[in-house]
Amino acid sequence: MNTLAKLILALAVSLCGARISAAQHSADDGHGHGHPEHTMPTRSAPYSERVLELAAALPVQDGGRVKPLSTFADFTLLRFNGKRSLKLDDGTKLDATTWLLDVLFYPQQAEAYRCFQVNDVHAIEALGISTAGKKKRDRYSFHELEPGISKLFELARQYRAKEERLRSSVEQQIFTLASNVDDYFALKSHFDFARAAFDVGQSPELVATLGGETASFSTILAKLPRLIELQSAWRVDPARAEDSRELVRLVQSAADYSSVTSSLALMPALVTEPANANWHTPSDVLSSTFETEEPMREHLETLAAFETLAMSIGDPARFESALAALHGRTVATAIQRGEYAKVPLEISYYKAQLLTYSLAIFLLGFVLTGLLWIAPRLKLLYAASSLAVVVSTGLLVTAIVMRCMIRGRPPVSTLYETLLFVAAVTTLVLLVVEWINRQRLALSVAAAFGTIMLFLANGYETLDKRDTMPQLVAVLDTNFWLATHVTAITSGYAAGLGATAIASVYLVCRLFGATRRKPELARLLTRMTYGVLCFALIFSVVGTILGGVWANDSWGRFWGWDPKENGALLICLAQLVILHGRMGGYLREFGLAAATAFQGTIIAFSWFHVNLLGVGLHSYGFTSGIHTSLWTYYTGQWGLIAFACGHYWLERERSKAVAQALTEQRVTSVSSDVGAT
Amino acid sequence: MKLLKAVYDGLSSLWLSCTLLMFLALLTWLGTLDQVHNGLFEVQRRYFESWFLIERIGQIAIPLPGATLVLAVLTINLTLGGLVRIRKGSATAGIIVAHVGILMLVFAGYVKMNHSEDGHLTLFEGQESNTFESYHFWEVALFERIDDARVREIVVPQADFAANTSGAPVALRSAELPFEFELKHFTPNSRVLPKGPMFTPKLPVADGYFLEALQLEKENEHNIAGVYAAVTPKDGGQRSESILWGASRQPWTVEVGGKTFGIELRRQEFALPFVVRLDDFVKEDHPRIDMPKVFSSDITVDEAASSRQVKISMNEPLRQDGLVLYQSGWGPQNARPGDPLFSTLAVVRNPADQYPLYACIVIAVGLVLHFGRKLKKHISSQGAQAS
Repeated sequence: MNTLAKLILALAVSLCGARISAAQHSADDGHGHGHPEHTMPTRSAPYSERVLELAAALPVQDGGRVKPLSTFADFTLLRFNGKRSLKLDDGTKLDATTWLLDVLFYPQQAEAYRCFQVNDVHAIEALGISTAGKKKRDRYSFHELEPGISKLFELARQYRAKEERLRSSVEQQIFTLASNVDDYFALKSHFDFARAAFDVGQSPELVATLGGETASFSTILAKLPRLIELQSAWRVDPARAEDSRELVRLVQSAADYSSVTSSLALMPALVTEPANANWHTPSDVLSSTFETEEPMREHLETLAAFETLAMSIGDPARFESALAALHGRTVATAIQRGEYAKVPLEISYYKAQLLTYSLAIFLLGFVLTGLLWIAPRLKLLYAASSLAVVVSTGLLVTAIVMRCMIRGRPPVSTLYETLLFVAAVTTLVLLVVEWINRQRLALSVAAAFGTIMLFLANGYETLDKRDTMPQLVAVLDTNFWLATHVTAITSGYAAGLGATAIASVYLVCRLFGATRRKPELARLLTRMTYGVLCFALIFSVVGTILGGVWANDSWGRFWGWDPKENGALLICLAQLVILHGRMGGYLREFGLAAATAFQGTIIAFSWFHVNLLGVGLHSYGFTSGIHTSLWTYYTGQWGLIAFACGHYWLERERSKAVAQALTEQRVTSVSSDVGAT
Repeated sequence: MKLLKAVYDGLSSLWLSCTLLMFLALLTWLGTLDQVHNGLFEVQRRYFESWFLIERIGQIAIPLPGATLVLAVLTINLTLGGLVRIRKGSATAGIIVAHVGILMLVFAGYVKMNHSEDGHLTLFEGQESNTFESYHFWEVALFERIDDARVREIVVPQADFAANTSGAPVALRSAELPFEFELKHFTPNSRVLPKGPMFTPKLPVADGYFLEALQLEKENEHNIAGVYAAVTPKDGGQRSESILWGASRQPWTVEVGGKTFGIELRRQEFALPFVVRLDDFVKEDHPRIDMPKVFSSDITVDEAASSRQVKISMNEPLRQDGLVLYQSGWGPQNARPGDPLFSTLAVVRNPADQYPLYACIVIAVGLVLHFGRKLKKHISSQGAQAS
């Protein structure tokens, strides 16, 4: 009998949980919100430092790992807004954690924040929303989008059926916006369950069981076994049919409120279940309580802590102490489960902004090395430039090391990390070259290269909008091969691009006649290109073969002509052609530079372009949106090579003409001498 | 003699090395881009396993050497130029070592291409097997049940009948069989359709059905082959014909001389020197996301004298008796919690399994030796200039 009652209640719960999404549900209802709205307090003062610290350090399980809430907030806001911070209409700047706290605890206030970036105003017009006064690329608040939400989800459902590559830019914008609005809605409704006072109804037994005419979510959960008992008795008693309906409505209502909580798993699994790696949401706890009919005390206490926190908004002191209590509980459990150790380090990593400072100092180094070419004898300037490049490289290396410590992995496991690693290795190699030559050249290239690569890394992160320390698929989850093959091949990319950068400098110098005026500069650049290319070949060849050895261990074949494998082979072949061509005398100074500059585009093809093909076993790297950047690079690099070749040809023709004129002049003067004799 | 010298000089020249490396790069690039349209198997056949090919750019046909030819000549060039003709001394020691490593790699590729077998073994939890089957090749099996425990089997490999796709039958005679056996019209990808009254199929009709040839799939393992078979009893009985199709659930059965024979077209099977039983398959996702964290198969390997339990997971294969078993796949993809799962283990017999690793070490040593020496020399000369 109990089982049947449980089934009826469970069905009520599952009906709520089965919705496609909360926002779509509310849009389909024709409301802007899933739950009844009351006028809620607005935040009149900034959060205290302590509140922000506690919130930032609150652990959450997201993307398959436990991370600080600040990281979750950063990447969520980056996805919505295209930036990790938000500027309000009154000029106030909110960091991501503050924004998230507002969305969670002051949802009505946050609805006015323009946090949805839309790159094409036509996407908004397609929703039937007025765009008067808006720029082509602008930001919108939830309030502004609300009238078009039904249309937004209707269109998104249509576009879902299309492959991403077949969607137009506006269609893709609409699809992405729908996904963001959906996620936003889940966040703004997350604590509705904790804010709600559920109407118990008229039944005296229910009132007695739940201790009043209204009940909190945690109270309903605590009494769920008793509620199931009551339902099993009332279900078969016609006199209690109304009470039975009331009870089902109450449980359904609780399930409805908790059904939007799945995006934020803030409740650690119990210490007593170490094998369970999944953290929980209130919705999970409700479902599991149905299964076990035994509410877990720890979960009930955490839910009560959420309720206390949600009910204390408007009173900063109470809010702080409630947040501290929740933080204390969650962190203690996470520590006991061994899941908190890396959270403080991750907070420090993002707080330190090492990559931002590294980029700024690289940029400074770039300016200083530029000045160094104007005033080459200024030793202080040379020292300052060197210091800037060394410090920025040091910061970059520190950032990479911290990332390794946080994830417990070697330095490269994602495409984003290849950008950081390539920047670090190339600048380190160029610093070594500078240390050997001390001619300012390698230092200048290092500063320029570091700046460009960190700009690219920053752009990639903004474009990708996802956590840059994600979990890895099973085949990649091996520290041995990540440390050997991936590190070696990425070092090959790095050195190859370093050689390309030096060779490109040579071509530019050649175009401007600098190599003719200063032959020793040309010789130096050629030596540097050759040296760095040799270094690149070692890592490219070893990295490529190690990739084959890894493939042999994972898939049973050393070489499968997969696009990524082919890309690596292309790099090795290009470098071998250049070095053999040089050895055979087919490529001299100019040829070596032009070929090495071309080799850079082969590296770009192998590094990123093969992932765009969408075939092969390595298509797990993010790639969409980088097509334009790649073609810009190809065009620029090939253009430089073409101009340099044209210039070289003209130079040769001019030299030939001069040589011929000299010869003719000599012949004429010799014959006149003979005539005179 | 002069001609021989010219040939030797040409074959060992750096000019030839550069040309061949550029051709290989070109083929690799074309083969990479073409995978988007034609799939890996077709691309491998066209660019990397061919001696020559015609590449079309619009209406223009450009003849190119295939990778097999390029690699063959490159091997000769590397041997003559990089090992024989090269000046021997401390300055070139690293280069020679690296070249030896590359030749080891080429040798490993040759052994793999000519002496390896690969396929897969798919088992549900609790099942066992002592064979594995090919991903790519087919065979026709004729079998006769001798008693409850024994089956006599004659196998016709794909190579014996696949080349002939025309209507001319390939006859297969065996003294053990009481009938003549013929195969014709091999179609590498096909389906079986009933003959309707309103059309005439391109291929013959047998028992009211015919084989329709389909375009080849991008992934070769998705192709389902078919072939027409005919049995003519040696004692002069009536000839019978049927279609053998790779996805048939039942074999074609014929009765000749009072004996019943089963005939089927199936993926080529290879024997394992041990029995593999799948005890448990584990697929674990990262918490709260749909991303696989671990795939692993707990298997028992039974040999004549012993039995042992082994865990095979991604990057952790089992190497035994010259065979390597890898975790390759699982299913059914739509399985619900508690449903029985199957695990697919890729099986490879490759005598050169570990050669690439040794080659990698040799090449790395050679390159470090050579370029390290150059770097040392450069630093010394810089130091000398500075002083």
